[in-house]
Parts: sequence; structure tokens; C-alpha cells
Amino acid sequence: MPATTDRFSRLAALKPTRPIPARPAALLTPGEADSVGRLLGAGVANTHFGEHLAIRNWFSTPEFTEPSCIALELLSRTRNESLSRKTRTALEDPTKWLFLDTETTGLAGGTGTYAFLIGLGWWDAGGLQVEQFFMRDFTEEYSILHELSTRVVERPVLVTFNGKSFDWPLLENRFTMTRSIAAPKLAAHLDLLHPARALWKLRLGSVRLAELERHVLDAPRLGWHRENDVASALIPQFYFDYLRGGPAEPLAGVVRHNQMDLRGLAALFGKINTLLSEPADSANEIESLDLFGLSRFLQRRGDADRAHSACAQALAIGLPAEFRPKARRDLALMAKRRGEHERAAEIWLDMVADLHEGIHACEQLAIYYERHAKDLAKAAQFAKLAVAALRRQRANSRDLLLTARFARLEEKFLQRVARLGRKSRLSSQARPRDARVVAEPKASSGFW
Amino acid sequence: MPESLAVRRSPMSATITRVHEVLDAFAARDHSGEILTAVRHFPARDAQWADFPAWVHADLAFCYAAKGIRRLYIHQAAAAETVHAGKNVVIVTPTASGKTLCYNLPVLNEVLENSDTRALYLFPTKALAQDQLAELHDLNQRLQNRFGVFTYDGDTPADARKAIREKSHVVLTNPDMLHTGILPHHTRWTRLFENLRYIVIDELHTYRGVFGSHLCNVLRRLRRIARFYGRDPQFICCSATIANPGDLASRLLESEVEVLNVNGAPAAEKTFVFYNPPVVNRALGIRRSYINEASRVAQEFLKRDLQTMVFANSRLHTEILLTYLQDANPQPPGKPENIRGYRGGYLPNERREIERGLREGKIRGVVSTSALELGIDVGSLDTVVMAGYPGTIAATWQRAGRAGRRRGSSCAVLVASSAPLDQFIVRHPDYFFGNTPEHAFIQPDNLEILINHLKCAAFELPITPRDKFGDVDLPDLCARLAEAGFLHLAGDNFHWTQEAYPADTISLRSVTSDNFVIVDVTAAPNVIGEIDFPSALAYVHEKAIYLHGGQQHHVEHLDFKERKAFVKRVDVDYYTDAVRYTQVRILEVAAASQQTDAVSLGSAHSRSHGDVLVRSQVVGFKKIKFFTNETIGDGKLELPENEMHTTSYWITLERPLLDSLPFTVSERQSGMFGLLQALESVATLLLMCDCRDLGTAIGERPFILRPLKVAVGPSSYSSDPHAVIPSEAKDHASLSITSPFEADCSPARLQDAISSNAKEFFEPNLYLFDAYPGGIGFSEALFRTHALLIEKTRELIAACPCKQGCPSCVGPAGDLAPRAKEAALAILDRLRA
Repeated sequence: MPATTDRFSRLAALKPTRPIPARPAALLTPGEADSVGRLLGAGVANTHFGEHLAIRNWFSTPEFTEPSCIALELLSRTRNESLSRKTRTALEDPTKWLFLDTETTGLAGGTGTYAFLIGLGWWDAGGLQVEQFFMRDFTEEYSILHELSTRVVERPVLVTFNGKSFDWPLLENRFTMTRSIAAPKLAAHLDLLHPARALWKLRLGSVRLAELERHVLDAPRLGWHRENDVASALIPQFYFDYLRGGPAEPLAGVVRHNQMDLRGLAALFGKINTLLSEPADSANEIESLDLFGLSRFLQRRGDADRAHSACAQALAIGLPAEFRPKARRDLALMAKRRGEHERAAEIWLDMVADLHEGIHACEQLAIYYERHAKDLAKAAQFAKLAVAALRRQRANSRDLLLTARFARLEEKFLQRVARLGRKSRLSSQARPRDARVVAEPKASSGFW
Repeated sequence: MPESLAVRRSPMSATITRVHEVLDAFAARDHSGEILTAVRHFPARDAQWADFPAWVHADLAFCYAAKGIRRLYIHQAAAAETVHAGKNVVIVTPTASGKTLCYNLPVLNEVLENSDTRALYLFPTKALAQDQLAELHDLNQRLQNRFGVFTYDGDTPADARKAIREKSHVVLTNPDMLHTGILPHHTRWTRLFENLRYIVIDELHTYRGVFGSHLCNVLRRLRRIARFYGRDPQFICCSATIANPGDLASRLLESEVEVLNVNGAPAAEKTFVFYNPPVVNRALGIRRSYINEASRVAQEFLKRDLQTMVFANSRLHTEILLTYLQDANPQPPGKPENIRGYRGGYLPNERREIERGLREGKIRGVVSTSALELGIDVGSLDTVVMAGYPGTIAATWQRAGRAGRRRGSSCAVLVASSAPLDQFIVRHPDYFFGNTPEHAFIQPDNLEILINHLKCAAFELPITPRDKFGDVDLPDLCARLAEAGFLHLAGDNFHWTQEAYPADTISLRSVTSDNFVIVDVTAAPNVIGEIDFPSALAYVHEKAIYLHGGQQHHVEHLDFKERKAFVKRVDVDYYTDAVRYTQVRILEVAAASQQTDAVSLGSAHSRSHGDVLVRSQVVGFKKIKFFTNETIGDGKLELPENEMHTTSYWITLERPLLDSLPFTVSERQSGMFGLLQALESVATLLLMCDCRDLGTAIGERPFILRPLKVAVGPSSYSSDPHAVIPSEAKDHASLSITSPFEADCSPARLQDAISSNAKEFFEPNLYLFDAYPGGIGFSEALFRTHALLIEKTRELIAACPCKQGCPSCVGPAGDLAPRAKEAALAILDRLRA
């Protein structure tokens, strides 16, 4: 009926989002059903749930890195949480490690996103063994999930790059969707995205794995190169096209991409492992910005001593001008926490004129002179200095929110000046018998 | 025709005495008896009680007793028993009849019996979910926090979501969140789905038209996922009074539903008054402003210290009424404002404060949009004033129910505007009070809506051959989706093959989510509003005067690609009206019925419904002077044509009928346009829909199998009803739609052309079509209720006191040929025969 045809052709909901590739007209010749397998260098694997393709390769690079206890401790430490003994034991045994990276049909998440290629890697014979499971169609999903599950049971320590928030939850969803294969339990999960971000974001801006390979891992020495690498954004479409009878060739590129990501991940672990386990002052080859990144990472993970020395060293080697004030501020605060008040004050005095950190320095100095040096006049002097600086900044600011913030800060400093004034009058009215000090409200450093 | 005021002279409370003072004052001024068109008195009704069912958990009964509830109303007990018996149920009750207990009692009872039990509550708005949360929290506290209850919507903080998914026995959410936030992530909600026992749908009557059609599909998806986790949940629905609650519920749920249409709640005595603003110009049918009149009525109540709620139909009118009433009741020194506004756009905290103020009686008057129509608890008020008919009988009762919710006496006043619908209602009080509220329709198998939800369903779970999705032909539709690249068949199942997340791009509140933003560039660019695609063409075309918040804006530029309209504030003495050119082509006749017996050839006509293609284009605009309504200029526009496949109902006036009309050709023309306008008004009344849900067109009846050529006037009454009917000759000469306008845009000239042409073969079709792509079921309903539609339309026009037509019936007299009203009535009489 023509009306019915019309009805469908007019539907906005049925408009294709991109052109559909034409199915090749040629008939399959016998044996060609395996052509994808040959193209990918894969064999057909059989499981209880059916078939899928499996690809196995051993690579001599990256070389096995013995994980150091210090590095593991730092990497696995999360806020307010100490590791259970079981987790620690599992972590310390590198034969239980499994590097994991998946290629998916999208980044949207939710129940309609599939992992069509699951790549796994583990240390073997001094190098890296890489195994990949590929589903030739959705019917093979159970089979690759089953295979993944057996591998994870053997090696229950997962190492990923952004896998904690993406790959693993997605796979857990997939397991749930089967209603028959349970998601395997992990003994531990190390995700390198956050450490890498803390360490190298300052220097590189972006911490994509390919960037890290190029600028951190010394790409030429890695043993692979990404010259013809496929763009991640195109990967889902390659797979969809292949499903609809389009060419399988691009998938070979996807498989290689996944292998490189896994090897990059293993290499990245080696790099971080080295960086975290060496005493900072011996790390002569490290760039100053990386040292500062390391310092910030160590601060966050609670290794104050090494954080302090890494920061000092970064400043000693020489940081780019834009990072210097931040590093000095960090260093001064760390010194303060270590009880080295005079040392901290020296740094602050150096910072008083700084545009961005000057006010913070004034506040810290006001506290320092009041509490430690017991020089109320000097304390008041720095508080007034801050007020003057704030007024200048407020006059120049066009941003309403910022102006309001300056005004609030100014108010706080004025209160401080007033309180210091009262306090000094009190102590000058010589009452030696009952020299009570007005209670100091909590320092407002938290505000910064 | 004032009704006797004597009926209500029964023993009276103080409140009703004061109310009657006001009414008497109005009646005294109503010399002609045309102002108070109805005064109905409803005596108080006693509660009908039933005991708590024996199976109710002792702790739960104890906790209700502690709240002062020791017995149930009969409908509450019946609802609880039906749910307990495992049946789906829809409970039809007015507001304030304790309906939340109808579902909370059986659901919480089951949670107490088995702590794995999970329930999902759906409310049409977030505010209603919040209101229910408070009630459930109170019960939970009395039960020592034995269950978890949380709202889950766009405002739920991300870090709380995980806990809610695990711990919540009762999840309160809305259809939109279910659609985009829960169903596509069902693997994170396994605890809920594996134990899902009950789904509560409150305010069921709001799910009609497009929204209802979407909800039905969301429920199909929900049930499919529940089945995946091995559950077949039971539904408990609550609806306000509509004509077909059981029908609506069973269409939405696509399963059997038991209807409970009893009400054991007590009701206070109540007076309901229809107030028609006095006529100031009888010939032109002009009445005094209903906004001013509503404000005056409300002020009379406020003056006597009666707590009053005023409903307006738009945000703008809310603000105007608020200004008037605050002026008349200045804020007492040192005390908070005692007249407040309440509408969407106010912050949640402010709303809570107003609700509290109303319950505690500190706020004496509130002006609200429909926001307070649904079940938000604001306690009982003395009087309700409605500025304008809310659009449906059901909504009118809902609003009136805000007065005297619990005890005392109360009064509701409906102040009519001069719109046809309002005038019909106030002049036919029996229609309103005669207990024939509207039907609610949905069309879940509207292809556009259906296919979008199929995409979501495939994203959620691969579609298997065993899957059910209503009665639709799944394999065929899935194959089409696969062809378009959305799905892929692997083995027996269709899988989603797109990177995108389909639910994100599908809005439940419309068919297409495409819209324009309106940017005010008078000073720094500032977005002042948005407008949907079809309306954009008519209201924000270049050089249009766009009204926003009472302020005129001149449209400088309409950026089609970026979907933006740039406007500047102006102050001019005219407004613009788009000239729309609409063409309807019949694609397929679904049903037709012919009326041509030899006896009464003069009444020869037929009615049909079926699929049509509507092409419309805004081809020009007119500048119309305020107050005088004279056209002071016009212009051509080149805007893209809008094409829509939808469904339509139409009446064909056949040759013998037209021949029997004792009118000139132009009078007949005007009569038809006037008739169509009146038909549309009455249709919206019968269908319980918004006037924007229907479009109208007049076209020529096609010869068999020949594509039809039609031209049409705009559908709103303020528009020009003379738009073009191209002559037969022109039709043959060219099938191009725009040709009449290219020739000459002026209606007057065209009218001449038509009149001068022998119209021997012209047999017009009067179309009323669904204004949504694919149609949402109005056309078939109109076809079925044809006789009633004709009957009520005749009543509307006949009862109108104007002489030659006015905005309240066939359209303003100045726009029509002199005898248009007579002609329309003559046609109606023949259609009735």
C-alpha cells in the first residue's frame, strides 16, 4: 500500500544518522567465513557458551617490572581506608595481575553499550603476554564474557587506565545482562589514570595514553609505534560497519590499537613504579615539573617527607615561572606542618609581593608572627598589607563574583587587624598575673 | 437566566454567610440575569466508613491510628482489598479524599511482611513526589525507619544515587527520569527490578495525548525489563474524575484493570458559581475583561477575610492578578506579604514557604497557575476563583476542589473569558454539572513515538522474538530500524548499534524535541524563552511582534540553522498575525459514513477519518492595530514548508446540501469558516485537549483517487478566516500550493476571485486534524462522537447573544460576511437532520 510506504519514509525516527555502507555483493567462497580470523591473526575459541575469536601474542617489551612495596602502597592507598591483608597479599604477587583494556561500541555507558573486544595482558617470561577476545557478532558475547571470567578468576588483580570508572563497570553491566555468568570478584583494582593525571597533567595538559607514551615513556624505545594507529573515536563505527557486512580490515587496526594500549599500560606501570619507589633526591633525571607533580601526588597520598623533598628539589632545579608561586606555597605549608616555622616564614616573606599568592602569604605571616614569633605589631602589619592588596585587586576587578569574594576576604582581615589591636592593648595593660590571651579562632587557611 | 438562589438557604456556617453576602451583592448588580449564569449548591456529605482489613500488619495499623486514622473510608478499604487480591486497580477520586492511603497502605504492608519488596511511584511532577516524600517520611518515622523511601529525579545528588538504588523500598520518581535515568541503566537497579512488586501511577488523568502515548511506551519498556528480572509488577493508579478512567488505565497498562469509582470521603458544603462578565457591546459581543472581573470577585472574598485561591491560565495573567490584588491588599507593616503568587519558576524553598503559609492561614490569598491544581497539600481554603475556564471539566473540578478540602463551607467561582469554550461552559451549566467529563485519549502506536521508544527498548535489552511491545508487529519494525542502521540482527535478537544513548534525545512531553530559543538583543544578548518548531514559524518569523511577559519584541532575525530568534524590545501599537497556508491531502480513508437518503437530499453530507498529509507554510503576515483591529500593513515571508503526516476527521458538505442553502456564495464561505472555528472549540471540549492539539482546514472534496488540493484559513479565531479557497479553475491550472499567494496575497482580492467564479463543483471538506505527527487518536474519537459534536456546536452558536458573530462563537463580526452566523447555523441544522 503506497500510503504505508509513505508513512515509514517520512518518519524522523527512522532517518539514518549516517550513510549505511553497501553490503558487498560477492558471495562468500568456501572457507571465507574465517577471513576475519585470518585478518586479525586469530583462532576460533570454543567455550561452553559458543565460539569467539581469540588472539594471543607475546611481546618482549615492555619488560617485566617488579612492583615495589612503596609504589604499591602509594597507588592503592585511598582516603581513610587501609588495605585489607588479603588485598595486600594479592597485590604483592605480580603473577596475579591482569592488565585490561576494552574496545566498546560507544562511550555513553548504560545497557546498550557493548565491549566487542576485550584485551588482557599479564607478565610472562620477562615480557608481556597479550590475549584478546573478539566477538564476531553479538551472539558471541556470552562466550567472550565467560572467557574473561575464567581469566579474572586466575588473575584477580586488575590493572587499568580509566577502567575503574569505565571498562569494569561496563563489563559488570554486561555480566548482569547475561543473567547466567556472574561477574568475577576482584582481589584488587589498580587504576593508573588518577596517578598519571597527578604526575603529568601539569606538564602535558592531556594524559591520554598515546600522549604519555610519546612524552613520558620514551616512545622510540618502547618497541612499537603509533604511526598508523586508528583514531579511538572511529572504533565503534568500524565495528558497526563490519557487522553490516562492511570491510573487516579496519578491525585489524583496532586489534593492534588495543594491543598497544595494553603494552602502554604495562609500560606506564613500570614508569610510575620507578618514580614512586626511588628516593626523590636520587632522581636526577626527572624533569622539575614532574618532580612537582610527584610532590603533589605524594602529598595527596600522605607521604609528607618525600613530598617535601621532591618539591624542594623541583624548585632547586628550576620550575617554569607560572608554577613557581604554587610550588613555593606548597613548600611553605609543608614546612609549617613539619614544624619548621622559621623556614616557612622565609618562603612567605619571599612571596608577599606575588600577585596571586601574596595575600595567602600575608595571612600565613600574620598567623606566624602572632603565634610563633609573638610579634603582634608585625602580625598586624601583614594583615594590613593584605587589606591594601585586596583593595587594589577589588578596584581592578570586573568580575562581580570575584569582587564579592575580595570584599569578604577584606572583611576577615579587618577583623583580624581589630582583634590584634585589642590583644596588643590587653597585653600592654600590664597584668602579668593574669595574662590571658584572647582565644584565637581557627586559622582561615582552609578557605584557600 | 439566573438560577434560583433559594435552594441554598439551608442552615449556614459563618463562612457561607460571608460567601453569600458576596453572591448577593453580585446578584443585585445582575439586572439582566446574564452575569450569574449558574449558582449550584452542593450539600455536605458524610463520610462512609469501613474497618481496616484484618490482614493489615499490626504495626502499620497502629501507626495510622497514631496519626488519628482508626477507620478507612470505604473507597480506601476497597482499594486496599483489590490490591491485596493481586489485581491492577485504578481508583477514581477527587483531591483530598485520602487517596495516598489507597496505595501506601497495601504497599507498606507488603514491605513490612517481606522486606525485599520494592515499589516504584510515578508522579507527573517533581513537586508532587516531594509532597509524597514528606508523608512517607512521617509514616516511616512512626515505624522506626523500617523501610527506605527516596525520591530519584534530576535533583538527586550523584553521590546519593548508589545508596538509593540499594536501600530504597519505595522509589518516588517521574516518567521522564524513569525514561532517561532508570530504564537505560537497569543493571544498576537489579535490587529494585528483581523485587519489583508494585508500580503506583498517581494523577493518571494527566497522561493523555502525547504525554500519555509516551508513558504507555515507557511502561512497555518497564514491563519488559521487569520480565527480564522475572517480575510482573502490579499497578495501582489514581485518577481524577474523567469519563473513561478504566479505559485510559487499561490502554496505558495494556492489561486488565479494575475500576473503583466510589468515594467515601466526607465533603463540606459548597457553592459553585458561574460568572460571565457583563456585555459592554452587544452587537460585537464584547464583554468586560475577565481578568479585571476575576480580580474584583477575589477582592470581595478577601475583603471579608475569606482565604482565597485564584487560578489563572497563564503565567502572565498570574502576575497581573497578583499585582491587582496586592495593590488592593497592601502588606501590613512589619508583617509578611499576605497575598502571594505561586507558579513554575519560583524556587522550591519559596514554594514550600507559600504552601506552609497557606496551611497555617498566614497567607490569605494566593494566585496560581495550574501548578496548584494537582495534589500538593496546602490545606483547605474558603474560596476559589478561576480566571478563565481551565480547559477541561476535570481540571475545573480539581481546581474547585481546592476550596473546602476538609471541612467548613466553601465557594468556587468560574469567571468566563470571551473564548468560545468559556462561553459555552457558562451558558450551558447543565453540560458542566451533568457529569459528562471529558474522555482522555492516547495513541501509543503513533509511529513516531513508538519507534523512538523501540530504539530505547533495544538499547535496554536486545529485542528477542518472544518480546511483546503492545500489539505492534515487532519483527517488521525492528527490520526497518535495522535497515536504517539503528539495530542489527544477530541470531534471533535485534541489538542496538549506535554510539548514542537514544533516551537523551527523546522528550516525553512532545513528539519532536526541536525548538527555537528566543534571544533578546536589545542590550547584552539574553535568552528570554523558547518556542517549539511549528509555533516558531508563526510567532517569531522576521518582522513579527513577539509578546513575552507583556513586553513587545520585534523579531530582527530568525536563524534557522542555529534555531535562534533574535528580538529587540519595542513599543508599538500593533501586533502581527501570521498568514498560514495549509494544504491537506487525504492518503487513506480509515472509515466513512454517508448521509444521503433520497428523502433529505438537503442534508447530504458524509463524515470520515483517516490518514492525511498536512502541508503548511507561513506565507505572510498582517500588522493589526490594537483595539481597532484594522489591518495596517502586511508582508510576504519565505519560510520553509512544514510537512506532517497525521490523522484527520472531516465532514464533506455535498452538492445538494450546499444548493439548499439560501445564502450567497461568500456568505456560505464565511459560514463554513465560522462553523469550523466553532467545531474546533467544541472538539477541544469533548476531547479534553488543548486547542493547540487540533488543526483545522477547509479543502475541496477530491475526485476519486485524485490528489486533493486545498487551501485553508488559520485555525485560531484571531486569524483571518478568509484565507484562500482557490477556485476550481485555478486548481486545475496549477497544483502548486503557493500559486494563489504568488498571484495576490490579499484575502479580499481572492474572495472576489472566488465569488466571481462559478462554484458549481465545489464540495468542501471541513478538516479537524491532530496537530502531532502521526496523530494521537483525536480523529477517530471525533468520528465516533460526530453527532454530539454537531449538537454541541449548534448549542454554542445558537446560545450566543451576538447578532452577526463574535469571538465567542463563529469569529469576530468584522471578519465575516454579514450572515455568516446564520449560514453556519443553517449548515448545522442540515448536518443534524
